[in-house]
Amino acid sequence: MAGLPEWLRPGARPTGRPLGAAVGDRVVRRALGAIGRALALLVVETEPSRGGPLRDADPRAKMLAAVGLIVVATLLREPASLAACLALPLATAVAAHVPARRLVPVAIVAIASAAFMLPATLNVVSGGHPVLTLWRPAPGNLGPWRLPAAVAVTGSGIVVAGRMVLRATACAALAVLLTTATPPQELFAGLRSFGVPQAFVMVLSMTERYLAVLLQSARELHLARLARSVAAIGVRREEAWAAAGVGAVFRRTRVLADDVALAMASRGFCGEVRLLRPARWRVGDWIVVAASAAAGAALLALDRGLA
Amino acid sequence: MSGAREAVFTVEDVRFAYPGGEPCLDGLSFDVLRGERLALVGANGSGKSTLLHILDALFVPSGGRVAYLGTALSEEALASPAFGPRFRQEVGFLFQNSDAQLFCPTVEEELAFGPLQAGWAQGEVLRRIEDTLALLEISRLRSRAPAGLSAGEKKRVALASLLVLSPSVLLLDEPTAGLDPRSQSLLLEILEALHARGLTLVTATHDLTLLPHLADRVVVLSEEHRVVADGEPQRVLADTELLLAVNLIHAHSHRHGRLVHTHPHQHVVAHDHGHDHHHEHGE
Repeated sequence: MAGLPEWLRPGARPTGRPLGAAVGDRVVRRALGAIGRALALLVVETEPSRGGPLRDADPRAKMLAAVGLIVVATLLREPASLAACLALPLATAVAAHVPARRLVPVAIVAIASAAFMLPATLNVVSGGHPVLTLWRPAPGNLGPWRLPAAVAVTGSGIVVAGRMVLRATACAALAVLLTTATPPQELFAGLRSFGVPQAFVMVLSMTERYLAVLLQSARELHLARLARSVAAIGVRREEAWAAAGVGAVFRRTRVLADDVALAMASRGFCGEVRLLRPARWRVGDWIVVAASAAAGAALLALDRGLA
Repeated sequence: MSGAREAVFTVEDVRFAYPGGEPCLDGLSFDVLRGERLALVGANGSGKSTLLHILDALFVPSGGRVAYLGTALSEEALASPAFGPRFRQEVGFLFQNSDAQLFCPTVEEELAFGPLQAGWAQGEVLRRIEDTLALLEISRLRSRAPAGLSAGEKKRVALASLLVLSPSVLLLDEPTAGLDPRSQSLLLEILEALHARGLTLVTATHDLTLLPHLADRVVVLSEEHRVVADGEPQRVLADTELLLAVNLIHAHSHRHGRLVHTHPHQHVVAHDHGHDHHHEHGE
């Protein structure tokens, strides 16, 4: 073995380079932590909610009900009927004892779509009667555009934006309720029974596994980074590290995902999803489908009545 | 010692290189006989794990031939309904990285995966799961997610996921790596019991302390990816020159006053299920 270098001793530091406080990268760390938690919520906690009306329903019945109501949500126009369509899955989630944290993606969709639709509430995007004036600019031009006399929120703009936000949130709530109440493997088996091609379902199944592996690698990399964080390195270098980290995570997960695929092949995986306790269609499943069909019809009738 | 036993695997002049990489197996030839405990030993990177992947028909060799009970392992053979499912049921592969091997949401589903792929009846699958969980003392883990288990528990679940299929051959890649003494001892005990039942065990390891427990026969791979020895564990372990050459033991320096001398250092831990330890220094 070569001799130890002189600097390799406890307490040795480079001269003339004081350590900065390790606070500058907190934002990146928090963001990584938040992304990890969000992914964990989506892909790791696959245990379905226990109790409630959805516990034992056949995944095919749940898929029919959810997809049918999503189609209905896209047909509704009135905010009141869309709000009722949103209330339906949320009430079902409460009745099924779905933990509130599982509904976080619904809130994220609501906030993101509201932010996206915010400009649509203004008179410069949607016409209509102003209900709240935000700004009265001085007369003049902004480039080739003439500035309006006032920038205001309009009634029709609120309706347009509200409709989109409610529709997106209702669809998200229905999809989240379906995935929360049904383990992924049952969903995939349900897709196969509806005639979805085996190759497509196999890719979905592998993607679900890959996301879990990706999450694990990202966590490990994040912890390794934390363990070696001595001091703040500045936003630029932090960004460079984050970009390199993403590449490293993908390389690592690709290797591990390959191993997972080999392990599946080694145990005879033939591309077909097979369940230990396959779902059986019961009377209750007809009730789920009929109830969702009735709810969809009622929502459409309400919508037409309000129009 | 091998007598006229049937060859489970026949390896003939097998070569392998990863795409764009250096060769990692260079002309290997040997047989694995039914019921024997064969250890593949070699330093890191000698090609042990790759060879196990080839024996499990997960990798296709670049040259040469591997046969299982006389049938050459090929994509066509594995696609055949008469051979593929039987091969997958009879040959179990314990991966070094348990995280790669455990991909189902619960331990129970993990154990059910292979039998369900083989198309076994639900009642039979559930009965075997029950028995296998009890055998490996992991019944309490039945509804747990594999990702949240300790390394020892993961290894036991991974082994259970193979045993539930009643394999005839187990390919074990560094089976005791990262295990605490109790988990290691339990694993060795189970492997000994399986061998007594007639299972063929092929173990890749660089840990010479395992050889007395895991092998009747040792195939040594060199860092040049060739077979350099094939024989009984006692004979291989006694060949210090060979072990030094293949980087399985290292030269160890000692200072006695002003005198410094170097000799090979070999740990042979002879223990019955991890109880008695004996260290040897070969000169």
